[in-house]
Parts: sequence; C-alpha cells; structure tokens
Amino acid sequence: MNQPLSYGGAIRIDGLRVSFSGKLILKDVNLAFPARTISVVIGRSGSGKTTLLRALNRLNECFPGCETSGTVKMQMRDTVVDVYRDGLPLAELRRRVGMVFQVPNVLPVSIGRNLALPLRLVLGIDKREIPDRIEEALKSVHLWSEVRDRLKDRATTLSGGQQQRLCLARVLALQPDVLLLDEPTASLDFRSAMKIEELLLHLKEKYTVIAVSHSLSQTRRLADVVVVLSEGRILKRMSSSEFSEHQAVEALLEAAF
Amino acid sequence: MERLLERLFVAAAWLSALFTLAVVAIFIGFLLFRGFGTLGASLFFGNVPIMEAVTGRLPVWHGIWPAVAGTFFLVVLSAAMAVPLGLASGIYLAEYANGRWKSALSFAVDLLAGTPSIIMGLFGFALILFLRKTILPEANVCLLMAGLCLALLVLPYMVRTTQVALEGLPESTRIVGPSIGFTRWQNIQHVLLPASTKALLSGVILSVGRAAEDTAVILLTGVVANAGLPASLTDKFEALPFTIYYLAAEYRTPEELDRGFGSALFLLLLTASLFVAARVLQRAFERDRR
Repeated sequence: MNQPLSYGGAIRIDGLRVSFSGKLILKDVNLAFPARTISVVIGRSGSGKTTLLRALNRLNECFPGCETSGTVKMQMRDTVVDVYRDGLPLAELRRRVGMVFQVPNVLPVSIGRNLALPLRLVLGIDKREIPDRIEEALKSVHLWSEVRDRLKDRATTLSGGQQQRLCLARVLALQPDVLLLDEPTASLDFRSAMKIEELLLHLKEKYTVIAVSHSLSQTRRLADVVVVLSEGRILKRMSSSEFSEHQAVEALLEAAF
Repeated sequence: MERLLERLFVAAAWLSALFTLAVVAIFIGFLLFRGFGTLGASLFFGNVPIMEAVTGRLPVWHGIWPAVAGTFFLVVLSAAMAVPLGLASGIYLAEYANGRWKSALSFAVDLLAGTPSIIMGLFGFALILFLRKTILPEANVCLLMAGLCLALLVLPYMVRTTQVALEGLPESTRIVGPSIGFTRWQNIQHVLLPASTKALLSGVILSVGRAAEDTAVILLTGVVANAGLPASLTDKFEALPFTIYYLAAEYRTPEELDRGFGSALFLLLLTASLFVAARVLQRAFERDRR
C-alpha cells in the first residue's frame, strides 16, 4: 500500500472505522484507489459499500450518530490532503468528490436549473457564463442533443436513464477529481445502463472513478480494480486480470453476491 | 365469524364516510337555503352606495362590509406575523435543533397548539392592562393587539406543518444538496423548501382559515359591534365571525337574522376561495421555478 499517490484524485485510506450510533459498519479499512481508473466495490448488502463511498466525501456525517476515525488522503494538484483533518471546507470536498446515487435524484426544478443552481451556488459562476457551462456539461454525458430544446421543462419529465445522466452532468459541471457512483445503473433498464457504462469507461481517462456494483458482469466490463467488502472489512483487492481468473471469481461469487 | 366481522367493519367504514359527507352536505345546504337569498350588494353595504362605502366616506350601518374589511386586516396582520415566524421555527426544529432542546421546544409548540383561544384572548387583555400600568398608559384593545393574539393562536399550526413537511422528505432528496457541495442553508433554500411547497402552503391556508374564523380571541382584544371601518392599527374594528355571533344572538328583526346567515355563507365562501387561491399560487410558484 505504499505506492506514491501520483495523479490528482488518487485516494488512500488508512485505518478507517465508521460507526452509526455505536454500531461499527466499517472496521479498520486500509485501501488505495488509483487515479484514472475505475475501481469497483462489491459485496453483499450491508457489507458497508455505501458507507465506504460516503466516507470519501464525508456524506456519512449527514446522518445521525455517525463517528469516523482513521485517515482518508486525497491527492490534489501538488499536495496531499487529509479530508478529515486538513480543514478542507466540506462544500469544496464535495465539489471535488462528486457523487451519483442509485436512484437518480434530480432537483425539483427544470433541467437547466438543475445545472445552473450548483454552478452558481457552489462555483460562483457568472450568470452570462452559465449557458455555455450547461451545454458543456450536458454534452459530456451525451444528453445535449436530447434536451437542448426543453431545458425549461421539469427535470422529472426525463426518463430514468436521462435523469441519471443529468445527475452525472451536474457532478461533472462542478469539475471534480473523483466520481463516486453508488450502484448508478441499478434502477435503470438495460439500454440506459449500457449508456452509463460507456460514459464511465470514457470518463475514467480524466477522473478517479469509484463505483459500487451488484452485477458481476458489470464489474467485469468496468473494473480496473476490484475491491471485495465483507462485513465491514476488505476481503480482497485485485486487478482486473486477477479478477478474470476463473477460480477467483468462483470464490467471489460465494463471498459477495 | 371473521368474515362477518370484516364485512361489518367495511360497512361501518362506509357508513362513517357517508355520515361525514351527509353532515357537510346538510350544513352547506342549510346555509345556502337560509343565506343565499341575502347575498348581494345590500348584504355588504346596506343602502350606502358601493363606492362611498368601500372608500369609507360614508359609514355602513346595515351591512357587513366593515366586518369583511376588519377580518381581512386581521388575517393579513396575523399572517404577516405568524407565517415568517412559524416557517423559521419549523425550519429550525426540523433541520437544526436536536436532543433535549428539540423535545423541549416541540413540547412548547404542542402546549401553544393546545391553548384554548379564549385563554389567548385573556392573555391579550392582560397584556394590555400590563402595558397600561407600565410603559404605555394609552394602550387599549385594538386591531394590532387582536392580530398579535391571533398570530400566537395560529403560530403552532405553521410551525408544525413546516416541520412535518421538511422531516417527511425522503433521504434521497435530503442528501442531494450536500452531495453537490451546497451548504446547509443552500440545501434548505434551494432543495428542501421547494420540494415541500405544497405542504407549506397548506400550513398557511390552515393558519389563515383559523385566524379568519376565531371569535374568542378578538372578543377580548378589540372587536366591537358597530365600529365601522378601522381607521388605524390602534382602532377598534368589526369582524365576520363576531358579526355572525352578534346577529345570531341579538337580532331584532328577521332581516338581521337573514343577514347573519348571509355572513356565515360569505365566510364559508371566503375560506373556500382561500383554498383555490392557494392552489393557483402553488401552480404559479412551480412554473416560476423552472
């Protein structure tokens, strides 16, 4: 685990423990997520996958009774920041570590405003610049051509797959370093899911992508690194080549699905 | 046996629903029957020309116009005080308060909600006496004082509906703001409140409706039978519910009693139109945020 953190966005976790109201969910997790790769976290329900993801952008703290110890270090352009100690403002951390959820959660406003609001409130972008930024973000998730004429429609009028891509666009518009994806295709049909997967394979060239998945085939298609979580501990961390070995997969099937 | 019980239960549920409907229908029907004929300019303005009456150039003695205006001012005054305060308290209770402090505050709100309105009126009356003896010798029952006491009366409704609306939002809605770097207030302002406008508006309607119909509070804080249009906030005033009560209890001619039914029907129509207005507002509000 001592490889140097190289690109911006690489993450290293040491001795991470997270509990909710005294119940330990993550027990001493040590782990590295390399930059510009897709790491897929797998494991049974309740193994702590979501908590692990939310430990990286400190979203666990939005829930009552949460206690976190250990370190989570993130590589910035030229420094390494401990996200729990170095006084990085929460809003800044969550801008840099964007998150997409299992069920698309668009804001209860129009498609355009879904992007304009965070741009204005979080990045403080000037009003005149916002339309360009919206277009850019929507193009990056291949949604522009589908919604360019209906930016004023409510975001909830989009299909599930489109909503999820809008959520991804909202995250990308804030220029993050890391993308956290909590089963991003679990609520989508097959075609929409494939579109998201294509996007992710493309996006990993620029971002550290960390995804939780419940699908073995999806893990095969996407993962450069596979992390198996079991009862709050790391059971195994392996590269995609190891993962494709037959025996390992058998064992994993047993442990994680 | 169990099947029989179940059938009886279903039948009882149906009957209860029908009973409720029937009561409402009879009630409205009776009001329409007795009051509909009186609806018209003379119910409101008596024999005074409308323009003269509305502008207050001529006093209205045989119409309910001063009471309508008084109720309007009362509602606006109490809503202006109770709505912002109630919204803010509800937001605080739902999003910021926790632990013992929260339960203490919730208890206080419950207590306020359970206070009979006559007590609220007595409070206003006692407050005036207190002010007279201390810093404000000229204090007297008036529109402002009645509005204040009514605001106290409806405040808990506003607090509770706001709190319940915010706390009832699903986790997926609550967490989206923080996940894109919104501060707590930005999240409340741009995600949580817009997501619960419907419930918030119903809180406002509930409060306004309650303020419009209450009689006990204003009875002790400034309503008078023949005050005419209130000239200022420190003036005495008339109000619809009190007019209804007064006409029903002390009518001297059958026409006066009819006017009482007409007022009751008008108060009902007024409250009903509030619901409609709130729905329209809500639609416009939603369109506006696109």
